[in-house]
Amino acid sequence: MVKLHTNLGVITLELDAEKAPRTVANFLEYVKSGFYANTVFHRVIDGFMIQGGGMEPGMKQKRTQEPIPNEADNGLKNDRYTVAMARTSDPHSATAQFFINVADNAFLNHSAPTSQGWGYCVFGRVVEGQDIVDKIKAVATGNRGMHQDVPLQDVVIEKTEEV
Amino acid sequence: MATLFISDLHLAPERPAQLQQFVDFTLAVASGADALYVLGDLFEYWLGDDDLDEPFHRRVTDALRAVSASGTAVRFMRGNRDVLTGDAFAERCGASLLADPTPVDLYGTRTLLMHGDTLCTDDLAYQKFRAYAHDPLNQARFLAQPMAARREQMLGWRRDSEAGKQGKTAEIMDVSPPAVHALLREHGYPRLIHGHTHRPGRHVHHVDGRDCERWVLNDWYSSGGYLRCDAGGCNLIRL
Repeated sequence: MVKLHTNLGVITLELDAEKAPRTVANFLEYVKSGFYANTVFHRVIDGFMIQGGGMEPGMKQKRTQEPIPNEADNGLKNDRYTVAMARTSDPHSATAQFFINVADNAFLNHSAPTSQGWGYCVFGRVVEGQDIVDKIKAVATGNRGMHQDVPLQDVVIEKTEEV
Repeated sequence: MATLFISDLHLAPERPAQLQQFVDFTLAVASGADALYVLGDLFEYWLGDDDLDEPFHRRVTDALRAVSASGTAVRFMRGNRDVLTGDAFAERCGASLLADPTPVDLYGTRTLLMHGDTLCTDDLAYQKFRAYAHDPLNQARFLAQPMAARREQMLGWRRDSEAGKQGKTAEIMDVSPPAVHALLREHGYPRLIHGHTHRPGRHVHHVDGRDCERWVLNDWYSSGGYLRCDAGGCNLIRL
């Protein structure tokens, strides 16, 4: 399990290393190196998801490790309070950024090995601190530079710990 | 033999003359060429590959498929209007999808192909919308809605876009020379071919002591046209 200590409270993630081995190993490497400390949830869309783990306050993008293969065909679903890897339009481009689903987002599940069908790899779920997730999804958001849905007050991951 | 480039046809059911001109072009001009490149905005809008069987879309994909069946390679790059075209669309056309930008060797001349919108870096409002529209999570969420809801949302964006253009100068909506120069430098000073700006022509950019050719394709709003390239060079041809 991994605890995300945010300035709004602690979110505890249970990771599924059996179903998403590469993704969990990758996530734990970022946790161990302290990468996520002082990153923000930079994209918050109530009814959809909250995304973070790649930007410092001020929307400064952090340098990441190499992308990993997409394990979205592992059968895990993008249900409410699951955690999945964010990526670009290339299905196999996830690095550090992740998101927590705040609704059942079935359209993010794997449906075909195509660019639009690959889906998003779920690799764990929130087992404690769902109320913190709910607090984050409800914060006020606005535009910042090229970005939309950015919290007006930073939601910061202050530190992470493996427990 | 030659390679042909088209873009910005903005095909839509409400403009049947353009569709006819496009079908004629595919039969009379494109079939038999070495390759046909479509560099974006083939359609006025594309709401998802689950709309492939709509009769208007079928006429367009059938026409491209016939080009492909003639032995001409068909390559498709997404524009801003048809950013949601996917593998199913490409398969239906017998086309392969290209990343933006894509470098190619055109009869011995290194050439970079783009839609062109990424070069309009002075248009911040557009670039912001582009970032939103190209985000895969946003796309997945959009595609999960019923077709009628997607159409409604798209029409709203178009209204906003048209209203936004009123306050923009022609310079803002054209390519930014510094962005063009940076791209040419990054890719080793190739020839550049793109559409999007609806300002067809040949430009020469002097970058770091080199001359780079930039060809801009024409749109098909008033009359169609294409760029024809062979070993001797390129020419814009009006239909």
